[in-house]
Amino acid sequence: MEMLIKIAHNYYYMVAILLFIIGMHTMLTHSNLIKKVIAMNIMDTSVFLLFVAIGYTSGGAAPILTAPANEVLYVNPLPGSLMLTGIVVAVSITAYALSLVVKIYRYYGTVDYDEICLIRSQE
Amino acid sequence: MEDQIVRITSRLVAPFIQVYGIYVILHGHLSPGGGFSGGAIFGASLVLVALSFNLEVGAKQISHDTASVLESGGALGFVITGLVGVAVGANFLANRSAGFPLGEVGELFSAGAIFIITAFLGVKVASTIVTLFYNIIEGEEKSGNAH
Amino acid sequence: MELTNHFPALIMAVLLGISFLSPILYRWARKASAPALIASLSLALVMAIYLLFQVLQVGEFTYYMGGWPPPYGIEFRLDLIRVYMLLVVLAVSLWIMVYALKDLEHELKTEVMGWYYTLYALVVGSMAGIALTNDLFNLFVLMEICAISACAIISVKEDRACLEASFKYLILSAMGTGCFLLGVAMIYMVTGQMNYDLVNAALPEAVELYPNNMFAASALFIVAFGTKAALFPLHVWLPDAHASAPSPSSAMLSGLVIKIYAFALFIMFYQLFPRPLLESIPLNEILLWLASMGIMFGSIFAMVQVDLKKMLAYSSIGQIGYVFLGIGLDDTIAITGGFYHLLVHAIMKSMLFMCAGVIIYSTGIRQIKQLGGIGQVLPITMFAFTIGSASMIGIPGTGGLISKWYLALGALEIGRPIFVVIILASSLLNAVYYMPIIVNAFMQQEQFEYQVKPVPRQMLIPLFVGVAALVFLGVFSRPFIVLLENAVQLLF
Repeated sequence: MEMLIKIAHNYYYMVAILLFIIGMHTMLTHSNLIKKVIAMNIMDTSVFLLFVAIGYTSGGAAPILTAPANEVLYVNPLPGSLMLTGIVVAVSITAYALSLVVKIYRYYGTVDYDEICLIRSQE
Repeated sequence: MEDQIVRITSRLVAPFIQVYGIYVILHGHLSPGGGFSGGAIFGASLVLVALSFNLEVGAKQISHDTASVLESGGALGFVITGLVGVAVGANFLANRSAGFPLGEVGELFSAGAIFIITAFLGVKVASTIVTLFYNIIEGEEKSGNAH
Repeated sequence: MELTNHFPALIMAVLLGISFLSPILYRWARKASAPALIASLSLALVMAIYLLFQVLQVGEFTYYMGGWPPPYGIEFRLDLIRVYMLLVVLAVSLWIMVYALKDLEHELKTEVMGWYYTLYALVVGSMAGIALTNDLFNLFVLMEICAISACAIISVKEDRACLEASFKYLILSAMGTGCFLLGVAMIYMVTGQMNYDLVNAALPEAVELYPNNMFAASALFIVAFGTKAALFPLHVWLPDAHASAPSPSSAMLSGLVIKIYAFALFIMFYQLFPRPLLESIPLNEILLWLASMGIMFGSIFAMVQVDLKKMLAYSSIGQIGYVFLGIGLDDTIAITGGFYHLLVHAIMKSMLFMCAGVIIYSTGIRQIKQLGGIGQVLPITMFAFTIGSASMIGIPGTGGLISKWYLALGALEIGRPIFVVIILASSLLNAVYYMPIIVNAFMQQEQFEYQVKPVPRQMLIPLFVGVAALVFLGVFSRPFIVLLENAVQLLF
C-alpha cells in the first residue's frame, strides 16, 4: 500500500523508467534499423526527463536572473543545462546512425536486420 | 520541389527565421537558448531555402567550401578563446580572471567569454547542419537518383 | 606565463585543435596535414612525459578548468595511475599513426583521408580526457565523443561489412551510454554532486537514507562499461567491428579503446565509491567469473576462425578478460598485473594487427590457410608476428609473461588457485591457434604462390619498434612494475 503511495508521488520517475525500458527493449528486439535508431532516441530522452525532473523544487520560479534579484526559491538550473549538452550528443548520434542507415540501404537494398544477416551469411 | 506557393512563402519567411536565430544566439546568457538551439534555427532556414528552390540557389546562399571553413573555424574559435586564459596566466577557459569584460547583469554585451563562445558555437552549429544536408544530397546524386 | 602548469588542459586543447584544423589543412594544404598530425601527437606525448616527472616529484595534484573549484567547475586530477594510462594512450597512438600514414592510401578513397585524421585525433583526445577527468558529466561527454569517433573510424572505409559492423557497434554502444547516464542520474539524485571526490564524501550518508540507489547505479555502471569494453556476454559487437575495419583502426580499437573503458570502470569503483561501500557490492565475484568465461570463450572461438583479422579480434576478447581478472582479484599484485597487461597487450595486439595489415597490403589474402610459406617473402613481418604471438602465449623473454605471472601470484595470494588454472589453460589455448600460423609460414616446403607487392619501409619501421618494445618490457620490466605498485597502493 505504501509502495503505491510512493509511486503516485513520484510519477515523473516512473514514467521515465518506463520509457527507458520501452526504448531499450525496442532497440534490442525489433529488426527494422530505423526503429532501432528511434528507440535509441526514446531511451536517451527518458534519461533527460529523469534528470530534469530531479532538479524541480516545488514552489520555485524559473531560473532566469533579471537585474534586481527578488525571488527566494528557484528551480535548480544545473540539470537543465547539463541535459542541453546531452540532447546535442543524442542528436549527433542520431544523425550519424541515420546516415549509416542510408548507406546500408544503398548497399544491401533493405533496412530489415534479419534480411541483412541473411545476405551477409550467404556471401 | 517546384511549387509556387512554397517558393514564395519560403522566400518571404527565411529572413525572419534568420533574425530569430541570431536573436536566440545573442541572448544565450540572458534567456533560454544559446548556441545550439540558435544555430539549429539559423541552419534550418538555409536548408529550407535549398529545399524549396533547387540546390544552386541554396549554394549561392552559402557554398559547400564556406560551410566547411565556418565549421572548423567555429570550433577553433572555441579552443582559442580557452587559450586566451592560458596566455594571460589564469587557467584554461577562464572568464573573469582572464580579463574578459564582464559588464552588468542583464545587459546584452556582458558575461565575457560566455558571449564569445556562444557566438562561435552558433556559427558552427548552423554550418554543420548545412554541411550535413549537402553531404547527404550530394551522396544521393553521386550514386544515381534517390530511391 | 608559466605554461607548464597548464599542461593537463593543453594536451586536450592541442589534440582537439588539430582535429578541427585537419579538414581545412587537407583541403588547402594537403602535404602539411599528415606532418601536422604527427607533430601534435608528439607534442602531446612530450607534455605527458613532463607530467609524469611532475607527479613523481610533487605527488598528486589537480587542475581546475577556468579557475573555478569544484563543485562549480570541472576538475582534472593527475595521480600516478592516471598519468600511466595517459602515457600508454599517447605513445601507442603515435606509434600506430606512423604506420597508418602509408597504409591508408590503399584502403581509403583520397577524399576521406582528411576526415580520418580528424576522427583519429578525436579518439586520442577523448581517451586522454577520460584518463584525466574527475567529473561524472565530463566523463559522459568524453565517452560519447570516443564512441562516435570509434564507430566512424570503422565506417570511413565504405564497404558492405564495415557499415553493418559499425552500425551494430553504434547501437550497442548507445545502449551502454543510456545505462551510464541513468546510473549518473541515480547518483546525482541522492548526493547532488558530480565531482568524484565530493560524491565519495557524500555517498555514505546518502546510502543511509536511500540504500538501493547505490546498487542500481553500480549495476548500471557494470553493464555500461562492460558493453563498451567487451566483457563476456556483452562482447558480440567486437569481432565484426575489429575485423572489417581498416588495419590502423583495428590496431587502435583493439589496443586502446576497449582498455580505456576498463580503466574507467576501475577508477569509478575505486575512487568514486568509498571503500566500505565497495565491499558490500559483489563487484569482485561478478568481474572474476565473467572475465574467466571471457578468457576461455575468446580463445575457444578464436580457434575455429578462418579469417586472420577475425581470429585476432576474438583473441582480443580473451585478452581484455585478463585486465578484468586483475581488477576482480582485488589484490595489489593482481591489479598491478592487470594494468601491466594493459600496456603489453596494447603493444602486442596493435603489432599483430599491423602485421596483418602488411600482409593484406602486399598480397591481398586474408584467409589463414592461404598463408603457407609466406615467411620466405615477408620475413620481417612474420618475425614480428612470431614475437607478438610468443608474447601472447607468455613465453619468457617477452612482456606477456610478466603480466600473467603477476596475475597468477595475485590469485595465489588471495587463496583462489582455480584462476591460476584458468590462466595456464588459456595460455595453452593461445598457443593452439597462434603456433600453426607461424609454423606454416616458415617451414612449408612449397613456394608461396601469390603475388607480392613490395612493402614500403615506413610500414616496417613500426614493427621493429614494437618487437624491441616487447622484448624490453619482458626483460627490463622492473621500473614499470615499481611504478604501478606505487600507483595502486595509493588507492588502497
